[in-house]
Amino acid sequence: MKLIPLILATGALSVAATAQAADTEAGRVLAYTCTGCHGIPGYTNAYPNYRVPKIAGQNRDYLVAALTAYNKGERRHPTMRAQGESLSAEDIDNIASYLASLREAQ
Amino acid sequence: MKFRTSLVAACALALMGLQSTAFAKGDAERGREKSQVCQACHGVDGNGIGDPQYPLLAGQYEDYLAYALRAYQKGDRQNAIMQGFVATLTEQDIEDLAAYYAGQKGQLGDLSHYR
Repeated sequence: MKLIPLILATGALSVAATAQAADTEAGRVLAYTCTGCHGIPGYTNAYPNYRVPKIAGQNRDYLVAALTAYNKGERRHPTMRAQGESLSAEDIDNIASYLASLREAQ
Repeated sequence: MKFRTSLVAACALALMGLQSTAFAKGDAERGREKSQVCQACHGVDGNGIGDPQYPLLAGQYEDYLAYALRAYQKGDRQNAIMQGFVATLTEQDIEDLAAYYAGQKGQLGDLSHYR
């Protein structure tokens, strides 16, 4: 009798955990697109000219904020806006978690 | 004909000289001095304070850091905290800060290993 609520609670918890925890493997698959620019050492943006940022190992929440800003059009970089617009909040979460997990051994 | 070529070359050199004056390279030591206010969020050397909402700056590309600071200054990037700090920065300050953080050791990398 006591077991049923416990099972229900456990089930609810695991669903919540699934919804919460970012899927870094899904992020890895999505991040393949990023390598087109961010995977080429010293790859340079045109007009204005600057090297595209190093994003491997960057902090997760900052990456979420940056991608969300592109998604909403608050950051204006044309290529990044185009990428950002196609991403769901969950995609952004997963990509950010994957990128943050890549820490360079110094 | 030869004169013309050397005239063109002289003009080109003069222009290059002007350009390097206009975009004086950043001075990392000056940047370190100016980075005091950045430390509260970005850490002493740009390696953060363990709070994932603030980006790591150590070892980031110098020209990208300068671009980002200018974007905050112009309002192309909206961030309440950064807006306040960049308001007083000169172009030289931006170059100096970018040079300082780009020269620090950190964990940032490109995605070349993950293609």
